[in-house]
Amino acid sequence: MHGNIIFWQVLLLTLYSMYQIWDELTIVSSLSQPVWAGLITGAIMGDVTKGLIIGGSLQLTVLGVGTFGGSSKIDANSGTILATAFSISTGMNASTAVAAIGVPVASLMIETDILGRFTNTFFQHRIDRLIDEENYSAIERNYLYGVFPWILSRGIPVFLALQFGGNFVSTAVKVLDTHLKWLSNGLATAGALLPAVGFAILLRYLPVKKHIAYLILGFTLTALFSTLYTNVQSLGTTMATVSKGFAGSFNSVSMVAIALIGLGFAINEYKRNTEKQKLTELVSSYKDSSQEKSNDSEDGEIYGDED
Amino acid sequence: MATKTNYKLTKKDFNQINRRNLFFNQLGWNYEKMQGSGYLFLMLPQLRKLYGDHTPELKKAMKTHNQFFNTNPWVNTIIQGIDLAIESKEGAESLETVSGLKTGLMGPLAAIGDSIFASLLPAILGAIAANMAVQGNPFGVVIWLIANLIIMYIRWIQLPLAYREGTTLVTKMQGQLNALTDAATLLGVYVVGALVATLINIQVPFVAHIGKVTVTLQNEIDMILPKLVPGLLVGLIYWLLGRKKMTSTKAIFTVIIVAVVCSALGILGKG
Repeated sequence: MHGNIIFWQVLLLTLYSMYQIWDELTIVSSLSQPVWAGLITGAIMGDVTKGLIIGGSLQLTVLGVGTFGGSSKIDANSGTILATAFSISTGMNASTAVAAIGVPVASLMIETDILGRFTNTFFQHRIDRLIDEENYSAIERNYLYGVFPWILSRGIPVFLALQFGGNFVSTAVKVLDTHLKWLSNGLATAGALLPAVGFAILLRYLPVKKHIAYLILGFTLTALFSTLYTNVQSLGTTMATVSKGFAGSFNSVSMVAIALIGLGFAINEYKRNTEKQKLTELVSSYKDSSQEKSNDSEDGEIYGDED
Repeated sequence: MATKTNYKLTKKDFNQINRRNLFFNQLGWNYEKMQGSGYLFLMLPQLRKLYGDHTPELKKAMKTHNQFFNTNPWVNTIIQGIDLAIESKEGAESLETVSGLKTGLMGPLAAIGDSIFASLLPAILGAIAANMAVQGNPFGVVIWLIANLIIMYIRWIQLPLAYREGTTLVTKMQGQLNALTDAATLLGVYVVGALVATLINIQVPFVAHIGKVTVTLQNEIDMILPKLVPGLLVGLIYWLLGRKKMTSTKAIFTVIIVAVVCSALGILGKG
């Protein structure tokens, strides 16, 4: 538990951090998401389960965070790489690592993202000039050079942190576990609470007021069922230890089943909408033919109710 | 007036644009023109075939397509397909129309694309993957990858479709997309409700001793409504996010600080 990460691990993680931003910008395969970062980093560091837990927690934290109109977003992927790598190499608790390393790193990386986006203007200006010179292959080349600011904006900070941050983190872990137990508990609580932020951000982007009934339904149904299932599970497990004749498997509540109920509501909504639409189209075409007014023909829109 | 070369786009051309789109779009993203140079890069080979090398028309077209452009990267090739359909029919004289069309379409298409591909699908798939991941199960992560492969296929076939249908495509799909978006957001809101009830492991460890009676606060809360604490906390953060000058990053740090303080005071704890 010396907090150092072997060089080939540093190298692989750096390469992955460079690949992920390329993926995120282009094919969007999901490999750039925090859960994948957790899985891959966990595999490289030799503890997949811990990686999945950290990646999953950070995924939930940024659930609703997207880039819209070119704004920089909190880089939960790099945060996951560092949190997972250090958590495994120093033995730091997973929830604590999420709050103590994952989130601060993720938000610091916004700066390098901005730097990358800014540096790309350099190649852009070259392209402007090359268009005048009609140098077609150079236009394409300079466009592709744009990949370097992007991948370096992730690769350099991740490499430096992994290579030189180990001792600092392992000292921090020691202090947190002994003198600052309250802080380490607090950070673990924060880690458990962070998904709440992700859900709240997501709700900000969704038309909550319009679909409030379904928010209540989803929450209450799941709250009741999950409590029921958890209680039955603990009851069953206890019974099994008491009586040998008592056997059976007890699962936690099936999220797929809960989601299917929601899908049913959604299908109904879709059907209602398309029917309403057909009706308005019918009415407006009837109006058009009877009145022969060309001015009214644009009034077919009914869906102005975006929240 | 048709273009001088009278070139019609073939399957090979579509494949080339799609390859460039899938692997290189947005690499040139910058604060000045955003995806502007990417738009040009994606269809430069086709522009050269349409107008011919070293012609004033080609230079004009390159300048037009190197202007500011930004839309959702899942739907951008719909605009490029429509654009190419017009340019191959009407040549360099249509470039002004095309410019207008680009700016006219990039906003609405970004709105549709962002809400479906950039927020809703990653939110739902991410929630499923994360839900399984925190229990140590990598299966959900794989589901996400498979789903995104299917989306890549849709991105691949939308370009020739847009080229064939031209501008009619957008008006034709508008109504259906609205109904679909509405149903999808309903599902999204419902799923978030379900996630709040399962994935926030927070409880109130506070135990009061009144004389000989001990009152475990969490038990009392559970009697009113299980998962009440996570529900209230999400509501509180939702309200916080609606305040002026509040960003998601600020909200995340606020929550960390408040959680540490509440944990030290024994009000909140990990479940």
